[in-house]
Amino acid sequence: MNTDKPHTVMPPKPSFSVTNWARINLFSNFFNSVVTISVVLFLLWIVPAVFSWMFINAVGFGGDEALCRSAEGACWPFMREKARLILFGTYPYDEQWRAALASLIVIGLVAILMLKRLSVRMMILLWVGGGALFVGLMLGNVMGLPAVQTVQWNGLPVFLLLAVFSLAAAFPLGVVLALARFQNQHLLLRSLATGYIELIRGVPLLTVLFMGLFILPMIMPQGFFIEPLFAILIALMLFHAAYIAEDIRGGLQVLPRGQFEAADSLGLKYRYQVLLVILPQALKKALPAIFNTLIGGYKDTSLVVIVGIHDMLSTAKMAYSDPGWQKYGLEAYFFVGLWYFISCWCLSAYGRRLERAV
Amino acid sequence: MGWLANKEKRSFAIQLSLALILIAVSYIIVQNVRENLSAVGIRVDFGFLSGEAGFDVNESLIAYSAADSYGRVLLVGLLNTLELSVLCIFGSTLVGVVMGIVRAGNNWLGSRLALAYVELFRNLPKLLILLAVFVVMVNQLPVVRHAWDLSGGIYISNRAMYFPVLIWADGMSFLLLGILAWVPAVFFWGRYVSRHQDLTGKRLPVAWPVAGSFLFIVFFVSVLFGIPYQFSIPVLERFDFVGGGRLSVQFVALAVTLSIYHGGQITELVRGGIQSVSASQIEAANALGLRQGQITRLVLLPQALRMIIPPMGNQYLNLVKNTSIGLAIGYSDLVSVMSTSINQTFRPIELMSITMMTYLAISLVVTALLNWFNARTRIIGN
Repeated sequence: MNTDKPHTVMPPKPSFSVTNWARINLFSNFFNSVVTISVVLFLLWIVPAVFSWMFINAVGFGGDEALCRSAEGACWPFMREKARLILFGTYPYDEQWRAALASLIVIGLVAILMLKRLSVRMMILLWVGGGALFVGLMLGNVMGLPAVQTVQWNGLPVFLLLAVFSLAAAFPLGVVLALARFQNQHLLLRSLATGYIELIRGVPLLTVLFMGLFILPMIMPQGFFIEPLFAILIALMLFHAAYIAEDIRGGLQVLPRGQFEAADSLGLKYRYQVLLVILPQALKKALPAIFNTLIGGYKDTSLVVIVGIHDMLSTAKMAYSDPGWQKYGLEAYFFVGLWYFISCWCLSAYGRRLERAV
Repeated sequence: MGWLANKEKRSFAIQLSLALILIAVSYIIVQNVRENLSAVGIRVDFGFLSGEAGFDVNESLIAYSAADSYGRVLLVGLLNTLELSVLCIFGSTLVGVVMGIVRAGNNWLGSRLALAYVELFRNLPKLLILLAVFVVMVNQLPVVRHAWDLSGGIYISNRAMYFPVLIWADGMSFLLLGILAWVPAVFFWGRYVSRHQDLTGKRLPVAWPVAGSFLFIVFFVSVLFGIPYQFSIPVLERFDFVGGGRLSVQFVALAVTLSIYHGGQITELVRGGIQSVSASQIEAANALGLRQGQITRLVLLPQALRMIIPPMGNQYLNLVKNTSIGLAIGYSDLVSVMSTSINQTFRPIELMSITMMTYLAISLVVTALLNWFNARTRIIGN
């Protein structure tokens, strides 16, 4: 009997060489070669152009406006001069520490909620407390702080107020809308939720913002005045809620029937069925879609500039409307873009981590 | 209150109270609106639509002057929105499909570049991109007097892009008729070819009869009616170009921005669709001896498209709605003319309801088309 191990021939070890790698990854066929060559040509054009704009032809932070006028590249002294204007706009100069502190409070609030697992009660407490602190700091007229009108609120704090609080407030509303549309016991409730969601999703955000600006004050009783800033906040919340509701409904739809029946047969009341069994699972399934909506909503908050709310796109425009600095619009938008890019990137990284964690 | 234990009665009670609340709230709203409007001395009335608008738009597909009515200016806005949407749908699809294929392909460099593209535009707001593109175009492009001459009658300045257009001649309506007749003929020829292949196994030619018949129709009709094919070419006069066609710098900035922005999202859809087709499908097709082109056309695309098309429809809907950001740079789209009209007439209720209904109608049409397509391409048995 042959007890020898079968003689196996291992495949030859692939030897790594640059030419081999290039042949496989860059020039494996005609189409691939075309792609490689066009990409290289594109990079040869864009990389030097961007590099010389940002560094070689640019004026460094130490320079001044006179130097910028003769330079072909970026004018970084613009940033040094105008960063504060872009961040806080026309908020009274001596009081801008309040705007900075208020922005930090919102950022800190979001950071705490991301890093710590908190009970729902604690979250509500934090949101309400943070919101009150923010408004108190910005508005003033308390604890010896001079009053600042909301029309003077500009830049980063306004953006954070609108983006963060509208999305946070839209979430519970979205859950209610999703549950209302998903059930089929109360037909009137369902058709109301469906109608609302489809109406909002069928029109551009801009028209909803105009609704907040023009129609909302009109349906209020006479003599009742609503600040445009808060009207826009409400409009944003109503808009995002419809999208979040659809994401959550997507999560509800993929839950197996058995989960509902099991919750039913345990004798749980509807409230507990939803809170303990259905929602945790549905939210988990809906997480990627919800994060997409959150990031999209966060970015789209920038549209408020069109209806006359001064977020950072508006203060950026103020910064390059100054006489002497009018050529540097791109620098201003570069600064704002950096903020968006970093914050959106953090948000999506957190979303991916959360998806893995749950 | 024992009757509340009955599920149906409870449901009825809830719905009844909901209906009552709804009626009460709408009554209060209507009352408030009426009071607020009467305080400024107006009431809801669509009659103003026939009044003179009195403001100009920077571009229009139909004849329009400031003396025309509000109804007409809204139509101009709608047509501008649709024109921009259609162009951007083509643009973003082209960008997205090319980048998506490159992203999913095995070219290391191309795939990385496509990834960088997607990540960059996913993390920036579209309005910021639009404003940056607009600022760069206005600052970097030459003024009209020194417009770049791209030869062939195409000029680019920081006010507009100018290009030659075909002058409408008498015989051209017959040419259009001929092409309209050609489309269904091609369709039936395709059906006949595939039926013939099913019956006999032989594949009749498709490419050259289709192209040949088209050329024949164009040639025949042109000769028959003596169509002159004259172009109107833009010529620089004292202050501006005269003749030819033009696209304003606002339009071009919007078209570029939205095509790139949505192109990035379509890239991800296309990549997902291509990667969702399992590798064994491609191997099986290889084993059957299909050629590379056939594999792409007959195996890969039909399965990938089924994944790609539904989210693509949503993407197009978003794109149509996103054209409204043109207001930020002064492109006369529907929302923009609505906003100007509101500021002039202070009739937000009428104007906003018209605008929102229009967008809803567009959404419904696209959604209906999408559902029809999904129903057609659904895998039977899944």
